[in-house]
Amino acid sequence: MAFKSTYELINGVAKITLSGELDAAAAPTFRADVERAAADKAKAVALLMSELEYMASAGLRALVFAKQKMGPQVEIYMIALQEPVMETITMTGFQNSVTFLDAYDAAKIEGV
Amino acid sequence: MDPLSLPGVLDSLSEIGQYVNAAAQAAGLDKKVAYRLRLAVDEVATNSIIHGYEESGTSGDLVVRSEMDAEKLTIILEDSAPPFDLRSLQERPDHIDKPVEDRPIGGLGVYLTVKNVDKFDYEYANNHNRNIFVVNRPQSDGAKSG
Repeated sequence: MAFKSTYELINGVAKITLSGELDAAAAPTFRADVERAAADKAKAVALLMSELEYMASAGLRALVFAKQKMGPQVEIYMIALQEPVMETITMTGFQNSVTFLDAYDAAKIEGV
Repeated sequence: MDPLSLPGVLDSLSEIGQYVNAAAQAAGLDKKVAYRLRLAVDEVATNSIIHGYEESGTSGDLVVRSEMDAEKLTIILEDSAPPFDLRSLQERPDHIDKPVEDRPIGGLGVYLTVKNVDKFDYEYANNHNRNIFVVNRPQSDGAKSG
C-alpha cells in the first residue's frame, strides 16, 4: 500500500499520522513532515502508526534527523505500532530515544 | 516465479517488496519471517540504487529472482553498478547503543539486512553485483522426524 502521511499541529504538538509502506522512496514525504514540525517549533512529535504496515531504515533516518534538528528535549511519541515495525525499532536501539504509547493521550502528550 | 527486472530507481522498491512478499508466501514463510526478508532485500536494493547507481552517476536495472527448494527460499538481487560487497561494511554499527540524537545518519541498512535473514551472501559475476538472501523454510513435523 502506498505511503501517506497527514500533519496537524495541536496545542504545540506535531501530530503526524502515517499509513502504508515507508520505504526510501516514501521517506522524503515523512522527512518533510518532520521539517515542518521543526519549523513550527513543536514541543513534541506524536507519530500515529497503527496503519503503518512497513518501515525501512530510511524511516529511522528521518527520526534521527528529527531528534538532531529539534533537539533531544523534544519528545517523540510512537503510538499504536504494528509488531514488525516495533521489532525493527527495537532491533536498532531506537526504543531508548522514543516513548511508546498504545493510544494518543492528549493529557500526557499535549499537557492539557 | 519468473524473475522481475525493474529500473534501478527508488520507485521500483515497492514492486520489489511485492515480489519478495509473494515468494515468501509461496514458500510458506510466516508473516514475521516474510517481513524480515522483505526488509533485508529492500535495504540492499535501496543501497544499490542510491550508492550503486545514483552516486556513481550510472544507471541500470535491478533484477530480482527467487529459488525455492524443500529447505530454503533464496532471493537473488542483481545490479550492474560498480562492484560493492556490503559485507565489507561493519555489520553492527558502533553507534547503535547511543541515543538517537548522537548518531550519524546511516549505517543501519546493512545491520538490518544481515540480522534479518538466515544467510546473506555476495558475489560479483558477469559485471553484476549479486546479493543473495537465504531464509530457511518451516519444516513440517513429518519432515523434522523423518
